[in-house]
Amino acid sequence: MKMIRAIVRPEMSDNVTEGLADAGFYSLTKMPVFGRGKQKGLTIGNAHYDELPKMLIIIVVEDKSVDEVLKVIQYKAYTGSEGDGKIFISPVDSALTVRTGSKEL
Amino acid sequence: MKEIIAFIRTSKMNATKKTLDELNISSVTAIPVFGRGKQRGLNPVLAGIELSNDAIVKGNITGMKFVPKRMLIIVAKEEEVNVIINALVKVNKTGFIGDGKIFVCPTDNAIRVRTNESGYAAL
Repeated sequence: MKMIRAIVRPEMSDNVTEGLADAGFYSLTKMPVFGRGKQKGLTIGNAHYDELPKMLIIIVVEDKSVDEVLKVIQYKAYTGSEGDGKIFISPVDSALTVRTGSKEL
Repeated sequence: MKEIIAFIRTSKMNATKKTLDELNISSVTAIPVFGRGKQRGLNPVLAGIELSNDAIVKGNITGMKFVPKRMLIIVAKEEEVNVIINALVKVNKTGFIGDGKIFVCPTDNAIRVRTNESGYAAL
């Protein structure tokens, strides 16, 4: 099992979640976050924005689905300019559903 | 060292905190998040609820795509993991859809910023 954490543009987050739902990945969590990347924020004229609003999407999937999810997120969150976001993948040992106690996703 | 990431009902937050306190697990990070699971949020159509004509005319058939939840992050020693998970399940189990999910992830290291301790001493 892998946990995929995608940091995407807030305006693209609906696009991404719809795309994931179409691909069959309904379960996910999202939250608004603030952050910066390699470009050290954003400078427009004299104004410098150190931390930019983004949406963090967390989704846990089976190992075999990782590539597909990555493809969907990458395709749906893409605009081509700086600030499209990043995707991180980390291992998950186990999952547990509180209501049923099942160890499946 | 393991990181326990739990998604629970917001209304169960106080009870969960109290239980963890009793277990002497006081370090918890809680974040309000939005999410959905297998049931695709609160979806009246998929849940099989009959909709009134009024609701259909007004377009109120989408339900709630994302449900507000609380995300708990607890980093703990390996031997404490099962105790914590059992406690979380015991408190949060209502038997209805939306009780939440618990994930256990491996963690390499932890560092306490104030004293620069690392490893188990920092937990």
